[in-house]
Amino acid sequence: MLKVEILSVTYSGDGQETHAVSEVSFILEQGQSMGIIGESGSGKTTLGLAIMGILRPTAKITGTIEYNKINLRELSQRQLDMYRWKHIAMVFQNGLDILNPLMTVNEQIKECIIRHTKIKSHDADSRVKELLGQVGLGTSVADSLPHQLSGGMRQKVLIAMALACDPKVLIVDEPTSSLDAVSKEEIIELLAYLQHQKRFVMIVISHDFSVITRLTDKMCVMYRGHILEEGLTRDILENPLHPYTRGLINSSPSLNPYQDLWGIPRASEAATEEGCSFYPRCNQKEDICKSQKPKLKYASLERKVACNQGGIITLLKARGINKTYSFKGNKICACKDCHMSIRAGEIIALIGQSGSGKTTLASILSGYLEPESGNIEFLGQTIKQHEFTSQLRGIQMVFQDPFSSINEQFTVLQAVKEPLDILKLYNTDERTAMVKQALADVELACDNTFLNRRCFTLSGGQRQRVAIARSLVLKPRLLIADEISSMLDPSTQANILRLLKGLQNALGFAMIYITHDLDIARKIADKLYIMHKGEIVETGPARKVFDNPKSEYARKLISKNS
Amino acid sequence: MRHQKALKYFATFFCIITLNFFLPRIMPGDPFYFLSSEQGEVAVTYSQEEIDRFKAYYGLDKSMLAQYGSYLKGIIKGDLGYSIYFGSDVKTIIKNRIPWSVSLVLLSVIIGGGVGTLLGCLSAWYRGNASDKFLYSIMVVISEIPAFLIGIFFLFYLAARQGIFPLSGGAKPFADYASWIDVLLDIARHGFLPTLTLSVVQMSGFYLIARNSMITIMSKDYIITAKAKGLGTRRILFRHALSNAALPIATQAFYSLGQAVGGTLLVENVFKYPGLGSLMRQAVMVRDYPLIQGIFLTVTLFVIIMNAAVDILYKRLDPRIT
Amino acid sequence: MVIKMPKIVKQFSIAGKFSLVFIVLVCFIAIFAPMLTKYPWNQPTGASLEPPGKAHILGTDDLGIDLWAQICHGARNSIVVGIGTAVIACFLGTLLGVVSGYYQGVADLVITALIDILTSIPSLPIMVVTGAFFGPSIKNIILILSILSWAVPARIIRSKIISAKQETYIKVAEGYGAGFFYITYRHFLPQIFPISLISFIKLISRAIVSEASLSFLGLGDPTSKSWGLILNYALNFPGIYFTDYWKWWIIYPLLCIILLVLATATVGREFEKILDAKID
Repeated sequence: MLKVEILSVTYSGDGQETHAVSEVSFILEQGQSMGIIGESGSGKTTLGLAIMGILRPTAKITGTIEYNKINLRELSQRQLDMYRWKHIAMVFQNGLDILNPLMTVNEQIKECIIRHTKIKSHDADSRVKELLGQVGLGTSVADSLPHQLSGGMRQKVLIAMALACDPKVLIVDEPTSSLDAVSKEEIIELLAYLQHQKRFVMIVISHDFSVITRLTDKMCVMYRGHILEEGLTRDILENPLHPYTRGLINSSPSLNPYQDLWGIPRASEAATEEGCSFYPRCNQKEDICKSQKPKLKYASLERKVACNQGGIITLLKARGINKTYSFKGNKICACKDCHMSIRAGEIIALIGQSGSGKTTLASILSGYLEPESGNIEFLGQTIKQHEFTSQLRGIQMVFQDPFSSINEQFTVLQAVKEPLDILKLYNTDERTAMVKQALADVELACDNTFLNRRCFTLSGGQRQRVAIARSLVLKPRLLIADEISSMLDPSTQANILRLLKGLQNALGFAMIYITHDLDIARKIADKLYIMHKGEIVETGPARKVFDNPKSEYARKLISKNS
Repeated sequence: MRHQKALKYFATFFCIITLNFFLPRIMPGDPFYFLSSEQGEVAVTYSQEEIDRFKAYYGLDKSMLAQYGSYLKGIIKGDLGYSIYFGSDVKTIIKNRIPWSVSLVLLSVIIGGGVGTLLGCLSAWYRGNASDKFLYSIMVVISEIPAFLIGIFFLFYLAARQGIFPLSGGAKPFADYASWIDVLLDIARHGFLPTLTLSVVQMSGFYLIARNSMITIMSKDYIITAKAKGLGTRRILFRHALSNAALPIATQAFYSLGQAVGGTLLVENVFKYPGLGSLMRQAVMVRDYPLIQGIFLTVTLFVIIMNAAVDILYKRLDPRIT
Repeated sequence: MVIKMPKIVKQFSIAGKFSLVFIVLVCFIAIFAPMLTKYPWNQPTGASLEPPGKAHILGTDDLGIDLWAQICHGARNSIVVGIGTAVIACFLGTLLGVVSGYYQGVADLVITALIDILTSIPSLPIMVVTGAFFGPSIKNIILILSILSWAVPARIIRSKIISAKQETYIKVAEGYGAGFFYITYRHFLPQIFPISLISFIKLISRAIVSEASLSFLGLGDPTSKSWGLILNYALNFPGIYFTDYWKWWIIYPLLCIILLVLATATVGREFEKILDAKID
């Protein structure tokens, strides 16, 4: 019914060109609802206005908007007026001035009806009342002025007004922003009900996931005018394929009841014209992303992603890991047929009690230990011993005992600089600068006095920070933290954890956090792996596992905790 | 584990025997050339017959493997060759000297060990005392000085100066004895100084080991228990403490056997005591190779066997190891 | 670590400091022997068996050679053998101890077997026998002493390396691709240095004693007058006991050996006391 093809909207002003919408395409059939989600400035509202054809004259539009096979762009304004409101209506973002403050509600709704339908004026009044009733407002509202109504009521008026001419396409722009929870709920329910009943095409534009989840079957994620991901709403929420989508989901309080909220880090540099628009804030950016604009491509049956690397990449894939220790004639199976996969920027909590084999598994995954059998791939290459811990942008591990993982006779500078020294990277000054940066990242002093302190003068918490700084110096893509705060006091634990999560958010590395503490895991994990006696007994998205553990051991573990 | 240890000792054994085999065969020059020149202190000339006998003994005309074979056979039989200088079997010569050396070693270990252990225990008990500190410093100094130097010291102060003891030898040469007792007394007079020297050295060694072991044991809980029971000092020291310290002290002593043997061999030369030590010196002086080798083999193998025996027995003797 | 030496020495007791001075003195005498002696050490320059007097400060021996010159020259033997053996044995022992402890596996088995064999063999008989067969030169003495002595420091260092290797920071450094040389230089050596140093000093002591013993037996280098050799000649002089000659001919070399051995032993103990406390 509605088909948009390669629609682009460009504003030019002050000598600069702003690409508000870039090459957006989608198709919607009758009864379908699609959500468009993005931050402010993503172009979602512009898109809606473009479909309505009410952009400012300074806007340059290219592409086609087809409604029932008619290209709306080829129509003149007068011809477009025939379609406006009768066929395609928009519920605008609620604001104080969205309705004319001097006209009553009745009048404002009536004028649409009179314009587009054959209904006469006095019949229109009853129609208005009917409409108000449909949105759950009392008839007295009809004679009210906008400022006399609450925000929720105003929103309902807008909806009623949009439905006045029974449109076939309804565009809803931020229907619930600035509403209280009760009103929000009412509006969402209303829209869902109406859409279900009248079977119009609904485009929901919002930055709020809860709205989009409830109201849409399909959704697309927009960023700076580009669609970065497109697919079924439920699927995208469960398994986002684009780093930006994942970032948005992680920022949503409604979707993250357990985890702390973390936003997407702000851009460190400007995006280039030729490259991916998300490049400056992406945590898995490569050089190609700077020079090549990604195209929206099918990643699976009902999913499209626009990413030069095909979406969130899988960093590490381990299959069939087995490791047995012989001790005094007994064989202890530390890892039995373990599988694990980690995507870029993901946080995995590996949970298990002591002796469950989690440290062994971590050592094998990072390359410190050789498994008896199994295959581990990092970015598609098989891991051979220390290959990936001895290079930039590889894997790094932070160990449990900070007293043993740093040679305490070393100075802080020597300890953090060690990987650069061994690999002979950069010159002396650059190395010192990188050390200082790393120390600043872990919130330690970076003046020369501190750099020259010997590590045996540092406390456990400080040493652990130094160990983290050391592992950051090689800019890892994957950081494995093995119970790093279990040997520290609770206050230091909390600080280290926050620090680590902050670093993860800012620098974008993936993290395997090993712990026996379920509460900590709840706070930070995207995905859970639960290990028991060498086997991975349960795995899945954190929320799913916590709400509904499937394996017996997991159930025991989680019920004990809650 | 035990088998591994036994294996190591066998390996060492074998190394020594093999080394002994190769020594004359890889030394620079010809053993006979050396002997016939003026380099030695005592110039010895050998008749062709003696040289031939020598050669036959070493089997230098046969292949290396055959030589090694007959060498091993000889070792097993106990044949250590023929000493040209002394004109008899090496085996016999050594056998005659052994009692002198062994008696020195045994006596010095028993006496020195006994006195040293006792003093060490007392020192440990009265630790920190002025007498402990004094005794400790003296013992440390003595332990560092090589035995033969102490021997020389005794030789000149007690023998030459005071004339109390004879200056050399094991017994008065060409003496006629009225009875057994006189023989013994004479031997005792001659052997007093070497025994004294070696005992002093052993004493310092045992003292330090005993003191250390006792200090460690004193800090154990069962000593506190004993004290709490109001037991007398002597009982605690000997029945409780020393019995536990005895094993480590004894094993330490055995392990220092190598040093003790070395010390004995040197001290004998100071006093010209007729044991293996002076024999060795004489053999070296005249470059009597078969004799040198014989002494080397005997002494070294003896020490290794003693070490091995202690090693294996120790595990059996410690009641805590089942 | 080497920079800390002056600080450590300052902490020595009086006995320790005296010992250190004495050792330095002996080294000095050894190096500058020709300049310190009026008379040559190998030619008769006086009546035989002269007691100490104005001309010959320590007297002469039976051939009339000045004793003071002999002792000064003999100091060279002691120092050269002492330090030479210690350097080689310490270096070898440290190297093999580190290799054995770090790589383990086959290298460790072989080296440990060697260590076990060497420590169970009594040293004197072997020294005598090799001296007799290969000729008593200083080179040979140093060689055979080194071969026999490297085992003890190697064993100590090996066990230290094995325990140091368990530390996580070694694993971490290996993870960065560090090889044997980096890890030994950066991580192990600073920890082994105290042990090596103490072993070194103890080895000097042992070497001096061994050299004196060998010379005493007549297996010393006959081309130079080691202190042990002087004693050997003196004791073999017939009638030494009935005369007073021993008062200088025996006493002085005897004292020299005893004092030097005691001095090195004391210095060794002092280092042990201080460095052990630091390690703890």
